[in-house]
Amino acid sequence: MNYVIHILIIINIYIILTVCTNLLVGLTNLLSLGQAAFYGIGAYLTVLALTVFHLPLIAVILFVIIGTALISLLIAYPSLRLKGDYFILATLGFQLIIYTILYNWVAVTRGPYGIPGIPALKLFGMVDISGLYPFLILSAILALLVVFIFYRLIHSPFGRVLKGIRDDEIAVLSLGRNVTKFKIWTFVISSGFIGIAGMIYATYVTYIDPTSFNLDEAIFILAAVLIGGTGNIRGPVIGAVFVILVPELLRFVGFPDSIAANMRQIVYGLTLVVLMYFRPQGIAGEFKLQ
Amino acid sequence: MDDFILHINSVNKSFARNIINLRGEVEDERYRIIEDLDLLVPDGKITALIGGNGAGKTSLFNIISGFMKADSGEVLFRNDGSFASLLGLNPEKITLKGVGRMFQDSHIFPDMSVMDNMMIADSDNYGEAPFVSLIQFKRTKKFEIARAEKANKIFTDLLGNPNPLWEKRNELAGSLSYGQQRILGLTRLLMGDYKLVLLDEPTAGVNPETIKQIMNIIRFLVENKRMSVFLIEHNMKVVLELADFCSFMSHGKITAFGTPEDVIGNKEVRQTYLGL
Repeated sequence: MNYVIHILIIINIYIILTVCTNLLVGLTNLLSLGQAAFYGIGAYLTVLALTVFHLPLIAVILFVIIGTALISLLIAYPSLRLKGDYFILATLGFQLIIYTILYNWVAVTRGPYGIPGIPALKLFGMVDISGLYPFLILSAILALLVVFIFYRLIHSPFGRVLKGIRDDEIAVLSLGRNVTKFKIWTFVISSGFIGIAGMIYATYVTYIDPTSFNLDEAIFILAAVLIGGTGNIRGPVIGAVFVILVPELLRFVGFPDSIAANMRQIVYGLTLVVLMYFRPQGIAGEFKLQ
Repeated sequence: MDDFILHINSVNKSFARNIINLRGEVEDERYRIIEDLDLLVPDGKITALIGGNGAGKTSLFNIISGFMKADSGEVLFRNDGSFASLLGLNPEKITLKGVGRMFQDSHIFPDMSVMDNMMIADSDNYGEAPFVSLIQFKRTKKFEIARAEKANKIFTDLLGNPNPLWEKRNELAGSLSYGQQRILGLTRLLMGDYKLVLLDEPTAGVNPETIKQIMNIIRFLVENKRMSVFLIEHNMKVVLELADFCSFMSHGKITAFGTPEDVIGNKEVRQTYLGL
């Protein structure tokens, strides 16, 4: 049973990651390879909030969202002046920079040694949230909250402008909308809420190191979004469930551990190739990536 | 000057291009697409802009609407009684000043519904700030209902009742026929608050019945909404039937201006453009 609950918690974390990334990829057609960096920033900010400021749960959530969003704002302005492939390269560069900082700034992040013994989140500043069941409830509530907020955003006039930018930037400009401003908002909102996933991860595992937030992770998040499908909420949620459940199902096939890890990569790669050929909008998406 | 909505004064625009000289060497050359161009666009009228391919018509529209920067000159737009310069402003700022644009290739949003294509064009952008729709959900919904009603009224006024665009309001705009997409692109302009609209070949590639509909819509813009229309057009029948004034552009300059009959009857226009 504990194993199932653990999988559900991880799925909740990935639902937050994919739903947030979808706002960039599926709504605004901005393919970002830097979202794992914000996941990491959220995790490290959580450690700061808990060990230095000793904040209660709600304050930690706000601190992580605002902190990650502000850092993303610094990246958004120069990156979003670039278009298409250049934007992807800029986010890739950012991902590598953040990873390098986390890895080498040993005095603050402890670099490759990681940070062990991360204290538990405290509800109302008193009750520790630790153990599988409390984390399942917390992660489910936060995932539902993120899904609700992003559903509303997608189905609002704001979401309509984002879809317009995805379809035809020039037309949006000619209708009097400031495209750069909307892209910055999207980047900042997406990154800010991704910080929550970092917070859950850091306090659930109680140990973080930079390898959890590297380029592989960024590609993994993007693959989950593309496999599930973009442009709506359903697609990224299905993508998150798919990428977490598939390797778990492979455990029951009976592959040796050394092969199972490689099989996971092969299954993701094959799924992406097959989907790009036969269903470019992903399993349940509504937008074909251009 | 009170009779004009747009005053284009000595506008120049050139591009750098590579040419191969007689010795086979590549040389840089400045190619002037617009040369010292002057034009007054009358207020509350339909003014056609005709000219051969490469004459600089679309470039002129791009300069007026901010999608291209002029090298020199002035573009003055009259709104609320006084002229203000449009040069140096970004396209969205020019739109907000009251200059609408329909592109040669419609630029509709194919993956959005017909209704969303209309609603995104509303001059009132309430609810487009990211969290307003979360905090002010009911108020945003009210605005959305008002937008849908506005779109429905525009469809009915222009196309009668029932009309194909209203019937297909929930379908993707990309699934409309080319003619219907052109009409949607034109109809969308009525959601905005424009004094001047720039139409780039609105009747290109559509059948005679749709051309009639498009002409009726353009007349509606001027007669019922008091807009001024400046349109690029290659169909001389449309120009003669629709336009109040006509300007002929050749090699980056306006070389003839007057009534459509006068300009189309002009010897230079007949020889160099119409091939008569």
